[in-house]
Amino acid sequence: MNTPAGKNIHEYIAQFDDIPGTRVYTAARARAGYHLNQCAMSLMKPENRERFKADERAYLLEWPMSPDQREALLARDYNRMLELGGNIYFLAKLISTDGLSVAQGVSTMTDMSFPEYQAMMAAGGRSPEGQRSIKGGY
Amino acid sequence: MARISAGVGSSHVPLLGVAVDQSKTRDDYFGPIFQGFEWTKEWEKIEKPDVVILVYNDHASAFDANIIPTFAIGCGEHYKSADEGWGPRPVPDVKGHADLAWHIAQSLILEDFDMTIINEMDVDHGLTVPLSMMFGQPAKWPVKVVPLAVNVVTYPVPSGNRCWALGEAIARAVESFPEDLNVQIWGTGGMSHQLQGQRAGLLNRRWDNMFLDLLEKDNDDARHIEHIEYLRETGSEGIEMIMWLVMRGALGRKVKRLHRHYHIPCSNTAIGHLVLVPD
Repeated sequence: MNTPAGKNIHEYIAQFDDIPGTRVYTAARARAGYHLNQCAMSLMKPENRERFKADERAYLLEWPMSPDQREALLARDYNRMLELGGNIYFLAKLISTDGLSVAQGVSTMTDMSFPEYQAMMAAGGRSPEGQRSIKGGY
Repeated sequence: MARISAGVGSSHVPLLGVAVDQSKTRDDYFGPIFQGFEWTKEWEKIEKPDVVILVYNDHASAFDANIIPTFAIGCGEHYKSADEGWGPRPVPDVKGHADLAWHIAQSLILEDFDMTIINEMDVDHGLTVPLSMMFGQPAKWPVKVVPLAVNVVTYPVPSGNRCWALGEAIARAVESFPEDLNVQIWGTGGMSHQLQGQRAGLLNRRWDNMFLDLLEKDNDDARHIEHIEYLRETGSEGIEMIMWLVMRGALGRKVKRLHRHYHIPCSNTAIGHLVLVPD
């Protein structure tokens, strides 16, 4: 079965692991992160945001996610949440619930402070040079 | 007969909606971004499209992780602005064009596109920000909208080739609609941006402009760009640019560029904007 890339499905998925500092939201991640993402999504409703803010741990116990996912969410460890199947479009609801801008939340995944991240963006963003391929180093 | 008279490409960064809603569009940060849309605002006043087929992606607003349609078409009468975690944007409700939308949905299914049909949903910044960029802050939107949502979140997302072919089929569907309608198609999202991981903040001015150049040409080379190239070159969320291919595919082989704008940065994202007409 050929994919658009002219590769089989296994090769198609494997190439995504070659991008530095990036976790592509594959089916495997979507499966692992289903309840984590649905929980983050639930924060779109004001009444859920209030209940979450009142007792975060109790709110998370209502969702059948793994203990690791629960701890990562409580710690706002976004890179860890991505590793455990979180997707940024869902997790953005958590960033908003915390009253942060998306850029603020996103900056916590880099090795920069928010002012440093903002300065990098204002100067034209992160260069793709050397950031495209782990194996190729380009 | 209905006809597609123009295609518009535009980023749909949520912060642009905030800038509009909080009247910051002329400040030092947002001014240069919004100036690049002034030409289009004036042009839209003259063009007066009846309907916009608005190709966008839902950002976990109407669709959760449960149901993931690859291509979904809004066939409802109206849509409200979604609450994305900070309350709904204060924009008018979006009016649908149910007759045209159902006609397109039926035509696409007969052309082997397995469309998901939506009757009721809220629409998020992916759809309302482009409306604000092109029409400002009217009391009601001057066009009816056919929302066309593309999965660009869960992989595999549709190929560029499939997006382009969908655009071609949409053009045929519009041309077979009996009512005399001036229809535009908008492709939204992008350009380069990455909102996740240690590589967050990646932007690629050179690649983005290569992509804009390609869309202006009288060939369909852009449909063959692979997912991995978008991911490597334009960041994980740069994949949204495949939605511009639906717009470009609907315009036919040869196009004329009326307007183009590019600005870095807006929040995490490179802003791109393009106005094309069939030639």
